[in-house]
Amino acid sequence: MSIRRMWRAGLAYIVLLIPTLFLLLGYAWLVIASFSSRTEGLKPVGWTLNNWRFLWESPFGSGYSNIWPVTMNTLVMSLVMTAIVVAVASLAAYPLSRMKFAGRKGFLSLTLVLHAFPSVTLLIPIYFVLLWIQRIPVIGHEIPLIGGFGYNTLGGVALVMVAFQLPFGIWVMKGFFDNISWDMERSAMIDGASRLKIWWQILMPNIKPGIAALSIFSFLTAWNAYIIPVTFTIGRTGQSSVLSLYLQNFISESVMTEWNAVAAVGLFQLIPVLLFFLFTQESLLSIYGGGKKGGV
Amino acid sequence: MQITIENLCKFFGKVKAVDNLNLDIADKEFVAFLGPSGCGKTTTLLMIAGIYKPTSGYIRFGDRVVNHLLPKERNIGMVFQSYALYPHMTVFDNIAYPLTLKKVNRKEKKQRVQRVADMMGIGELLDRKPGELSGGQQQRVAVARALVKEPAILLFDEPLSNLDAKLRLRMRGEIKRLQEDLSVTSIYVTHDQVEAMTMANRIAVMNHGILQTYGTPNQLYEYPDTLFVAGFIGSPPMNFLKIDLEQEGDGLYLVRRELKIRLPEEIAAQVKPSVVPSQVIMGIRPEDVHIVPANEGDFDAEIYVVEPLGREDLVSFRLGEEEFRALTPAPFKGGVGTIMGLNLTKEKIRLFDPDTGNSVLKSNK
Repeated sequence: MSIRRMWRAGLAYIVLLIPTLFLLLGYAWLVIASFSSRTEGLKPVGWTLNNWRFLWESPFGSGYSNIWPVTMNTLVMSLVMTAIVVAVASLAAYPLSRMKFAGRKGFLSLTLVLHAFPSVTLLIPIYFVLLWIQRIPVIGHEIPLIGGFGYNTLGGVALVMVAFQLPFGIWVMKGFFDNISWDMERSAMIDGASRLKIWWQILMPNIKPGIAALSIFSFLTAWNAYIIPVTFTIGRTGQSSVLSLYLQNFISESVMTEWNAVAAVGLFQLIPVLLFFLFTQESLLSIYGGGKKGGV
Repeated sequence: MQITIENLCKFFGKVKAVDNLNLDIADKEFVAFLGPSGCGKTTTLLMIAGIYKPTSGYIRFGDRVVNHLLPKERNIGMVFQSYALYPHMTVFDNIAYPLTLKKVNRKEKKQRVQRVADMMGIGELLDRKPGELSGGQQQRVAVARALVKEPAILLFDEPLSNLDAKLRLRMRGEIKRLQEDLSVTSIYVTHDQVEAMTMANRIAVMNHGILQTYGTPNQLYEYPDTLFVAGFIGSPPMNFLKIDLEQEGDGLYLVRRELKIRLPEEIAAQVKPSVVPSQVIMGIRPEDVHIVPANEGDFDAEIYVVEPLGREDLVSFRLGEEEFRALTPAPFKGGVGTIMGLNLTKEKIRLFDPDTGNSVLKSNK
């Protein structure tokens, strides 16, 4: 490698390093703070495990729920939301990518508009919709695990987030379908496959990176969501509480906020996200890595 | 399976991709659709496959109109330029896919896949994924997949254009032999006139969605109907020269500044009387132009460039604005700028109308 080239590579690293350093500082503070009783900048004052107490006891007394059911809630809600988004988006994106029908362009621009729509403005009407759904027997509030799809249920919250995530999901999946050659689909048609079989047996296996990417984005959106859970459940102490709401328990007006405990819970919420990235980054990268040889 | 195409048209919006096509393909025949890209040949093929719906006109398989049939109901096999293999399936599953969809039982499926795979020389590769194969092997898998359901019609869409020259030559022979052995009616789309000439029983030349001519390779080469066909078929291409056609006494003459050629009786007899006298385009193939010493041929010209082709040399001359090529046995001795005489095999002269591009000779096919 010539000196000039090395200099260039070095320059790129320096440019990348500076902003990364600021981000890393934040994470470093998070880790240090969660294990100390107080911090002065990045300097810990007294190491302690006290901040992680929430793992084995409820830090706010018996009336409050433990973190584990709350974590379970968050996981269930995120998975339900992810599953519905991937299923609906890929089914909707296929015809939008492949077929000609009246209203196709209109539908596509409409989803784009919805994507850009500020979700906060819809909170009140959605509240009424969820209240209405809640009155439907079984579907409303009697499904085990997710509670149902009405107000103050995990399913209801997931459903609302599905609605907000779908426009993005449909566009992502459409992009992946667009990249699959027509010949492969034509070939499957001649081989005797129906449209549904082509979708399931030929196209879906070939857009695995797309499915992975959309799953990850959806999961993270749901995992970190705050405004929708806080609006459509009865709050941080309820049965349907999720991690972001649980975190709110630490910040109150009457008592001094324990920022170090907040850091610990925040770190706890971050762990699954990190794991998720570790295991899926390969398929995330393959989106950008270009096709394999002979991948058509 | 006999295929008949009647008044077939295909519009994409306002663009006419195929314009009133009429064609019949005999049972067991191997027909090539030849033309430059965008000429409508692939569109026609996809209509025969059932992927595109014709805007108007009919396609018949035997006596049956198939316009409304789905691709899977047509009993066809198709090989694509991009191979169109399913990358997530093994070679076995790729070839077996049509049988899997037909719910053929496992034992029979295995036998049939093994049989076609052996026939294509890929019997050893059944466990691999398409991504692990070379281009030529992938092409064989694609052919095997088209053959495994024992189709009544085989369709090829430029199957060899992604292969390197050597492999292309070999696959050309193999596909031709395969078609003869299996006696399956086949349609082969290509823009490569050599492929069409070497493989097909008959060639349909298309341009701008219109069928230019349809005949055996030899007919197309010897008696092209149009200027387009004359220029498209044959390599190096036919020479064209603007020239005046005149009557003098009882003979027909081709006259231009530097030359005057009397047409031989057999050609003169074919000339449509309505075009005499007028300006026409004379066409003659490079192998029918012979280089002789200056002043000894039909006319003289200056050498512009010499291109050795190995067995022969291609010598280009300049005649005013136009170029004129001659194929001559190698090695050719004569430098650039030298004046040489050119002698034409006059029986091979073809004449075209400069406005319509049609041949002005009465057809003697």
